[in-house]
Amino acid sequence: MRLTVAASWVEGPLRQLVADARLELGVLLHPSGQVLGQFGFARSVDVMTACALAAATHASSAELGRMLEGQPFTGVHYVGATRQFWRATVPTTSTPLILFAVFDEESSLGLVQLFFRQFCEAVAALAPAADAEPAALAENFESELNRNLAVMFGRA
Amino acid sequence: MTSPFTAVLGSLIRHRGVSGCLVVGERDGMIVEANLQIGVKGDAIAALSASLYRKARRSALAAGFGEAGFFELTADGGRVCAVGRNELVLVVIGEPGVNVGIIRVEMLRALELFQ
Amino acid sequence: MATDEVRAISDQLAADPSSIAFLPLGEALRRRGQLDVAWKVAQRGAERHPQRPDAHDLLARIAIDRGEPSRAQSEWEAVLRLAPGHAAAQKGLGFLRFQQGDFAGAAELLGAALLADPDDQSLAAALGTLRAAVDESAVAAAPPGASDAHAVTDARALFDEILGDQPQTALLIDRDGYVVAGQYRTADGRDLGADLAAQLSGVSDEAERAVEYLKLGAWKQIVFESEAASLAMAPSGEGVLLVATPRSVPLGFVRRLLERSVARAQRWLETGT
Repeated sequence: MRLTVAASWVEGPLRQLVADARLELGVLLHPSGQVLGQFGFARSVDVMTACALAAATHASSAELGRMLEGQPFTGVHYVGATRQFWRATVPTTSTPLILFAVFDEESSLGLVQLFFRQFCEAVAALAPAADAEPAALAENFESELNRNLAVMFGRA
Repeated sequence: MTSPFTAVLGSLIRHRGVSGCLVVGERDGMIVEANLQIGVKGDAIAALSASLYRKARRSALAAGFGEAGFFELTADGGRVCAVGRNELVLVVIGEPGVNVGIIRVEMLRALELFQ
Repeated sequence: MATDEVRAISDQLAADPSSIAFLPLGEALRRRGQLDVAWKVAQRGAERHPQRPDAHDLLARIAIDRGEPSRAQSEWEAVLRLAPGHAAAQKGLGFLRFQQGDFAGAAELLGAALLADPDDQSLAAALGTLRAAVDESAVAAAPPGASDAHAVTDARALFDEILGDQPQTALLIDRDGYVVAGQYRTADGRDLGADLAAQLSGVSDEAERAVEYLKLGAWKQIVFESEAASLAMAPSGEGVLLVATPRSVPLGFVRRLLERSVARAQRWLETGT
C-alpha cells in the first residue's frame, strides 16, 4: 500500500496501524484540515475532499457532543454495504489530530479500535511539542493543505 | 443480570488452565459477553480471535470445504479455541496444557445457544 | 523378525563378534526403524569384514533410511568395486541417480540391474517410472532442463509415503501462498493444490498477528474442522505446512499426520531428499 506523509514522525505509527488493522485507505489530519499523512489514495484531489469532509464531520459531531453531553464526541463508526469507516480523535500534547480510516471485511471495528489505541500511544510519544510547530491558521489553511498535498504526491 | 450465555461461560472458565471465555460478534470483533480472569485483555482477545476464526471460516468455505466448526490455535504460551454460528463466536483462551478435548465438546454443545 | 529372534542373533554376535550375524541383525533393526543401532551394528560388522559386499550394501540401505544419500552412494560404489555387477548396488545407485535428475545414468544402472535379475518386478517398475519421467521432461521442454522437471515431479510426491492411499492432502506453502511441495488431487485427477494454498495461506498471517499481540509466543499449530474436512497447519521453513483429511479422520490423528509431514518437509528442505 502506498503511504505518504507530510511530517516524518507520522510515518512509523501510521504504517503500523495500516498493517495491523488491515486498513484500506485513510488520512491523518489536523482539525483545520491540514493533512499529515495519507494511505491508499491515488489522487490528491480525493485526499483534499476526504480531509475537508473529515474535518467538517469532526467539527459537527464534536459540537453535537458538547450540546448533548457537555463534551465532544471523539469517534464515529459507520457501516456501509461493503465498507466501513472509523473517524476518531487522536490525542496529542497540543491540538488533537483526526484519523479517518476506511476498511472492508478484511478487518473489523474491534480490530481497528484495538490497534487505534496503540496508534494513539505512539503518536503521543512522537508528536512534537505544542510550540515546536506553528498551528495552521484559518487564513493560510488552503495554502497549507496544498503544500502538504504537493509534498505527499511528489510535486513540491 | 444473566444472558443465555452466562451459564456456559461460567462453566467453561472453571476448567483448569482456562483464563478467559467470550462470546464475540464475528463481523465486528466486539464482546457480547465475557467471563475473564483478572488481567486478561478481553477486547484484544475478542477482536483478534474473531478475526482469526472468520478468516479460517471464509478460507474453508472458499476452498470448498463447507462451513467451519471447531477451531484451535496452539502457541508456545497458550491456546485459543473457537466455534461459531450465526455471526457469533464462542472463544476460549487458556494455557498450553488445557484439556482441549473436553473444552471442544462443551463448546460444540454450547452452539445450540447461538440459534 | 520377532524380538526373540533378534535377541538370539544379538547373543550370537556377542558370543562371536567375528560372525556374520551382524547382517541379519542390522537388517532386522533397519526394518524396525532402529536406525542408529542398526548403523552401529552394520558399521562394526563392515570394519571386521571390509571385503564383504553385503556389509557395504547393508550400510548403504541404512544410510538411505537415515536420509544420508551421499554416504549411501559411497557404500554402494564400494560394493561395485568389490563385486562388479552387484544387482542391489546397481539398483540403489540407479535410484540415487534418478533422484539427482541423472536419468541417463539411472537408466544405465537400472537396466544393468534388471539384466542381472530379470525377475525383479520393482526394477521393471522403476524403469517404467524413469521412462515416464524422461517423457514428461521432454514434453515440458523447459529451459532449466531435465533436472528441474524431475525436482517438480519429486516435490509433488513428497508426502505420498506419509499420506498413503487415503484421500488426504499435505501441501508445503511458501510465504507468498505458492505451493512448494505436495499436491491436492480431485477425484477427476486435477491438482488444485495452488487454489487450496491461496485460499488457506492467509490464516497463518492472522495467527501470527494474534499471537504477537496476545503475547502467546510463536504459534505451533492450527487445527480446524469444517463440514467436509479437517484441516491442520503449522509453520514450516519460511512458510506453512497444510494437511487436509476427510472429516471422519479423528483430530488427534490429523495432528500426528501434520507433525510427520512437517518433519518430512524439514528434512527435504535441509537435505533435498
